[in-house]
Amino acid sequence: MIYSLNAEEMAQLYERISKEFETYGTVDIEGDLTFSRIESHDELRIGRSDKPPKEFLIGRNENVLVFTEPNKKAVFGVMSCDLKGFYIMDKQIYGKDPFYTARRDNTVFINYVCTEPCETGFCSSFGGPLLNDYQIQVINYENDKYLIYADDAYKSFFEGFKQASKEEISKVEKLMHNFNMKQKKHEVEGIENRIKWNSKLWDEYAKICIQCGACNYSCPTCYCFDLNDVGEERIREWDSCILAGFTKTSAGNPRESLASRLRQRFYHKFVYYKKSKGEYLCTGCNRCTDDCPVDIEIKEVIDHDYNNE
Amino acid sequence: MTTIMNSFKPHEKRIARKIKETTDIFTIEIDMESNSYPGQFYELSILGIGEAPISAASSSSEKLKFTIRSIGHVTSKIFEQDVIGVRGPYGNYWPFKEYDRILAIAGGIGIPPIRALIHELEGKKDLWVIYGARTPSDLVYKYEFDQWRNKANLILTVDRGDESWNGKVGLVTKYIPEIPDLKNMAAFLIGPPIMMENSVKDLLKYGLQPENIFLSLERRMECGFGVCGHCNVGHFYVCEDGPIFRYSEVSNLPELFL
Repeated sequence: MIYSLNAEEMAQLYERISKEFETYGTVDIEGDLTFSRIESHDELRIGRSDKPPKEFLIGRNENVLVFTEPNKKAVFGVMSCDLKGFYIMDKQIYGKDPFYTARRDNTVFINYVCTEPCETGFCSSFGGPLLNDYQIQVINYENDKYLIYADDAYKSFFEGFKQASKEEISKVEKLMHNFNMKQKKHEVEGIENRIKWNSKLWDEYAKICIQCGACNYSCPTCYCFDLNDVGEERIREWDSCILAGFTKTSAGNPRESLASRLRQRFYHKFVYYKKSKGEYLCTGCNRCTDDCPVDIEIKEVIDHDYNNE
Repeated sequence: MTTIMNSFKPHEKRIARKIKETTDIFTIEIDMESNSYPGQFYELSILGIGEAPISAASSSSEKLKFTIRSIGHVTSKIFEQDVIGVRGPYGNYWPFKEYDRILAIAGGIGIPPIRALIHELEGKKDLWVIYGARTPSDLVYKYEFDQWRNKANLILTVDRGDESWNGKVGLVTKYIPEIPDLKNMAAFLIGPPIMMENSVKDLLKYGLQPENIFLSLERRMECGFGVCGHCNVGHFYVCEDGPIFRYSEVSNLPELFL
C-alpha cells in the first residue's frame, strides 16, 4: 500500500511502531551519523550513516555457540543503498545463518529514500533509490509531505492514515526519475562479460592497497565472516577477502597474491554473484571507495575499458 | 514461534577408538553412527582451539570415522582429545549410485573418502582404486588392504620405495592405463591439486568424458553451510555446491587447481 502522511502523522507512525519494536535510528554523535536507540521520531537525523546498518543482522563480533531469540527491532533512517544490501545478501545467507535469519525476521527496516543524489553514490546505476523490495519505505518529497510504501505485513500501523493519491505518487515518481537522470550513470549491465581476469587493474590496485579491509567492513553486501575460538566462545568476526589468510588451507592458498584477492572481491561482486544468484553484489553506495585510504575506485572497475588496456 | 536450531553449535561426541596410522596421520572413531555418504564432510572442533573441515572416512553403515593429518592448530590436537565437537554432514557425495564402473584415484591424505566408498559399495560395483602416497610409511589403512581387495581392484603405489616395499613405484597417473575399458568409467579424484590436475589430463587423453570425471575440492570451509564465504571456487561454494564437482561443470573455472 502507498500512504500519504504529514510530519505529525509520521510521529504517530513512529509511536505505533515503537509500541511493538525497540526503535533505532540514525542520530548525530559528535558529527557522525550513527545507528542508536531513539525515543522519538524527532531524534532521527536523515543521512547516510558513518557505518552501514549491517551490524543489526550480522554480528561484528559475537559468540555463535549461544543463540538467543532476538528482540523485535525497528530501524529508522536506513538509506536505500544500505537496505538493498540485505535483500541481496538474503539470497545467499537467509535461511542458512540462524542468527541472520532470526534477526531479519524480527527487524523492520524503515528506509528513507534520498531525493537528491549524494556526492559519490551511484545507486541509479542499479535502479535508483526507490526500491522494489522494502518493508516500510519513506519518501519525504516535500517539506511536510511523506509518501510511504508499506508492505501489507505492516498495514496495522497505517490504520486511519490516508492512501496516497495518483497525483502524489506521480510527483514522487517524477522526483525519482529526475534523481536518476541527475546522477552519472555507470554501465553495470554486462560487466560480468567485460571484466578481464588478467586486467592490469588488479596489479595496479595491489601496488597501493594496504589490506585494511575497510572496503569489506563498509560494504552493505559483504557478508563473509571468520570463526575463531576465544576461551569457551566461538567468535564470529567480519572477515575480509583482501587478507591473505582468507583462503589459506593445508593444501595451499589459492590466492597468495594481493592482486588475486582484489580481483576476487570484484569478481564476487560483479561476476560470481550475478552467476549464482542473478544479482550484482553491489548497490552503488560507494562506501568502499569513500572509506578506502588509497582511493581504489569501484566505479573504475565498472567503467574500465578492458578491451583496450 | 518456531525454535531455531543453531547450526553453528556442534554435538559433543566421545572418541571411542584411536588408531595411529603413520607418524603424522591418525584415525578416530566417534561414538555415533555415520549419517553421511562417502565424500561428505564434517566440522570437527576443540573448544578454545577451533574447527576444521574433515571428510568422513566411514561408509553410511559404520560408526563415524575420520582419518586426519596433524597439520593445523586443530588437527594436531584432535588425537589427544577424549571428546570433540562434531557438526555435519555437509556437502554432496560421490555420485556412486549413478555408475556401475568406477575408478577412484586418491593421493596422500585424500584417501579417507575413498575408503568410505570402498566400504559403501561392498564389492557390489566394478570399483578400481589407485592409491598413491609419497613413501610406504605414508600409506594409511594398511591393516585393511586385504579386506579392500575383496571389494575393489586395488593398485597401491608410492613415489619412493624402500627396502620393505616390493610394490609399485611412481605417480598414480602411471597406473591409469592399466585399468581395463577405461573410457566407459566414471573417475572420482581426490588428493593434492597437482595430482588431480595431471590425472584429469590423462583421463581425458584416454577417452573419459569430462562429465564422468569428478573432483573433490578442498578449500577453507569454515561454516560448512554456505554463509561464511571462504570456500568459493568461481561462483560455487565448495561447502554447499561441492565438495564433489563434475569436471565438465568446473573445467573453465579459475583457481580450480591451486
